[in-house]
Formats: sequence, structure tokens, C-alpha cells
Amino acid sequence: MSDKSKQNISELMDGELTNDCSRFLLKRLQSDDTLQSSWNNYHMLRSCLQQEHDAPLMHNLGASVISQIASDSVVIEPVQERRFNGWMKSLAGSAIAASVALVAVLTFNQTRVENSIEPLPVYAKTSEQLVNPPNAAMVRVEQPTRYTRFPTLTPQIQTYLSESNNQPQIPVYYNAEYANKIIIQTRQRARQNTAEE
Amino acid sequence: MNPSDQEKMSEKTLDAELVEQAKAGRMAAFELLVNRYQQKVANVIAKFIKDRHEIQDVAQEVFIKVFRALPNFRGDSSFYTWIYRIAVNTSKNHLVAKSRRIQNTQVEFEDAESFAINEDYRNLDTPDAVYSRGELEQTMSKAIAQLPEDLKQAIVLREVDGLSYEEIAAQMDCPIGTVRSRIFRARDAIDQAMQPLLSEESTRKQHVR
Repeated sequence: MSDKSKQNISELMDGELTNDCSRFLLKRLQSDDTLQSSWNNYHMLRSCLQQEHDAPLMHNLGASVISQIASDSVVIEPVQERRFNGWMKSLAGSAIAASVALVAVLTFNQTRVENSIEPLPVYAKTSEQLVNPPNAAMVRVEQPTRYTRFPTLTPQIQTYLSESNNQPQIPVYYNAEYANKIIIQTRQRARQNTAEE
Repeated sequence: MNPSDQEKMSEKTLDAELVEQAKAGRMAAFELLVNRYQQKVANVIAKFIKDRHEIQDVAQEVFIKVFRALPNFRGDSSFYTWIYRIAVNTSKNHLVAKSRRIQNTQVEFEDAESFAINEDYRNLDTPDAVYSRGELEQTMSKAIAQLPEDLKQAIVLREVDGLSYEEIAAQMDCPIGTVRSRIFRARDAIDQAMQPLLSEESTRKQHVR
């Protein structure tokens, strides 16, 4: 190998060689072991001068990388497939976002429609209305605030009882023991009165 | 002849040419790229990892990742900027994986203490490899020290200070052709000095295989 070729390599690695010479030399470099050796050694000198304290001096790492790539059969990832994947990913994301938005809009509208269709409730105010409500589907029983001794009974039965029975209702907040005591006292007085008579 | 052919191929364009050829499947082009940037990558990794053996392993991993990701390199930034990012990420990932391994390993207190003290000497290289690498560095340093002063100055201005040939010519007060010649002669002198050692090393590797 001539010194001229070596000098060209030296200028090539510094970006000081013309385009046509550079392209020609790059082709030669890939097939000429001696030229490659010069390229590696010139770069090793660069490595030594640029080497930082903690780093080891690197020499011909390319050979081990290439053999590793060959043994692992590393494949260059095709760029088009990646772009397609990226495009697909963004499209899938948009589709999900659009479907979520559509569901939200439909649900909201449906709620509004249902709310607008629903008529105002009609309250049954009398027992007749309760038996024959004006609108059986939508009838509501007006429930006046009242205290009863049977709070678990349905409002209808309570209304029936209050309308048909004249017995006074005892508020639930009465103390049952106190009421029993009163009743017992009343009965005792009645018995005493009977005995005195 | 196209006038652009007479323009100089910048280092960025040179990298782009090598990348294009590597993308086309020319492994020799990729090997040239690796040897061109191996030291810069090792310097980056050394900021994260202290063990020299690990630095070499991680550097190899970095370049394998670079090879896999070559089609993604569009040339918007320089090739070195691109591989710098890959080197930083790979080093960080290596440290995370290593810390996980260490957490999962039981180490005796005395071993851990001596491991921490001998950080600078800790590596898993064979003595032979350590010796040959040390010899390589020593021979290189000796060859650089023995260079004539004008050659040494030219090569240091180029490689360490990163000056262009024109700037070196201005600084050394000589024609640009002389700068070309001095830089080449410096490189060639080192090449000649390293030849016996490198051929001996390649012979040793062949014996090992």
C-alpha cells in the first residue's frame, strides 16, 4: 500500500479529502485489510489522545461487535414497519378516544331525553284515587307526616286505617312503659272505684 | 466533473455515507464506524461505570443497539450526538440492572468491604488481557512521546484541540500542505510503532481460539 493511500485515509478521517476521493477510498477500505488496519490504528492514536482517565483504551471493538452481531444474527429493524406501527398506534389511540367520546355524548343525550319525557307525578289524595288511580303507572301516594304505632306498615294501609278507624293514634315517641303504667293505673282506679261502690 | 466532487467531504458527511452503507448491509462500513467512535463511547460510559471490563461490555452493547436502530437515524443530528444518547441510556440501564442483581445477592460484610476499597483494581479480566492492554497503552504513550516536536504539536492540535487543518496552519505558521504531511507522518509513525505489538496480539488471539 502506498503512502499516498495512507495519507488519503488520514485526510479522510479529518474531513479534508474531496468527495469523489472519499467515496472511492471508502469502497476500497471495505475490501482492503491493510487499509482497514491503518484506519483502525490512526483512530487508536486518536483514542489514546482523547482517552479520559477512567476509560480503557479501546482498540478494534468493531471486530468483536461484528462477530457478536453475526453470532446473534442481529437484524436491522425495518424502518417502514416501525413507522406503520407508530401510525397504527396513533390511529388506535384516536379510535379509542373517539369511541369514549361517542359513548359519553350518547349517554348524556339519552339521560336528557328520558328526563324530558317523564311526566310529572300525580299524587293520590283520597282512598278512591288510591283504588282507582288517575294514572296507574305513575301514581304516587302522598305521605303526610304522621306518627303511628305501626311505622312499618305501608302508606296505603296507614291511610286506610286513619280514614276508617276513629281510634286516636298514639305517637310513636310515647314511652311504651309510661303508657302501660298509665293504663295500669287507670285500670286500678277503675277497680278501686268499683270496689268502693 | 461535478463541482461538488471537488468539495471536501466533511466528517458529518463521511459518517452519513458510512451509515448509509451500513444500512445497505455492508458490515465492513459499520465496523469502520465502530472503530471511529469506540473511544468517545467508552469515555461516555466511563462517566457512569468504573469497572473497565464492564465499560467494554457496555460499549459493545451500545454498538449492537446502534446497529439495530440504524434505520431510525435520519441524520437530523450528528451521528455522535445520536450514539451519545444511546450510550447514556444503555449505561443507566446497565447500572439499574446491576443494582437489582446486587440487591438479590447476599454478600458477606468482609467481602463487601474489600470490594469497595479495591474499586480501581476491580475487574474480571484475565491477567493476560490486563497485561496486553497495559502494554498497548504504554507502547502508544511511548510512541507519542518520541514523536518529533512539530509532528506532536500538529497531531495534538488536531486530535485534542479539534482544530481544522487551516487553523493549525495559521497557528503553526506553515502552509496547509505541511500540516497535512505532519499529521499523516505522526499517525504513520504511531502505526509503525504499534504494528509488532498488534500482530503479536492477533497471533495470541488466534492461539486462544
